[in-house]
Amino acid sequence: MDAPRKGGVSLVHGAIDQAALLASVADPDAGATVLFLGTTRRHTGDAVTERLEYESHEPMAVRELARLRDAAVGRFSLAGCGIVHRLGMVGVGEASVAVATAAAHRREAFAAAEWVMEEIKRSVPIWKCDESAAGERRWVHPETVFDGGASS
Amino acid sequence: MVVVNLFAGMAESAGTRRLDLEWAGGSVAELRRRIRDRIPAVAELLARSAVAVGNSYAADADHVPGDADVAIIPPVSGG
Repeated sequence: MDAPRKGGVSLVHGAIDQAALLASVADPDAGATVLFLGTTRRHTGDAVTERLEYESHEPMAVRELARLRDAAVGRFSLAGCGIVHRLGMVGVGEASVAVATAAAHRREAFAAAEWVMEEIKRSVPIWKCDESAAGERRWVHPETVFDGGASS
Repeated sequence: MVVVNLFAGMAESAGTRRLDLEWAGGSVAELRRRIRDRIPAVAELLARSAVAVGNSYAADADHVPGDADVAIIPPVSGG
């Protein structure tokens, strides 16, 4: 079925309202709803993170998130899909991204949430800066040649 | 003139978030060369970055109009 179904995409500069996101994808034909949260992790190997700062090319990121959301709805026959990404400072344990998917059955809802996260990490213009407990800041740019997801 | 928006580590390497370049129009590849010549410090990250014209990803052969709004998109790390 073609998008749009329930749910939307947004960038926020404060805490993510998880209840509102779940409510936005609620649908009487959904037998399964998945909420994925990506949270700031304290340890990566030996490195200790104090907090992450997220930055985005906002108009383009919103457009890319909407494209992913619509693609997920079609690809996994979702009743609803919503994506919220937080920008600015995100402390340890706090959510930087939330993806909610609603489908007739759980298999599609789980698969869609994972697919959306993979695609966000591949093609949406959002970046994190890792700030260590010692106060060192480092922008994270994975060691790949980035083609903007043109290979998809 | 073309406006080139820089983000994250690219802005940090360049020491600015915005470049204004005299630009009569040309390919994405040519624009990459112009940016590299202007700010050699970004060469390594630029080589691994995508280029967006008017909020859409563009290939090296694509045309960039003289008044385009361009963004350099270094490897992303959202999520």
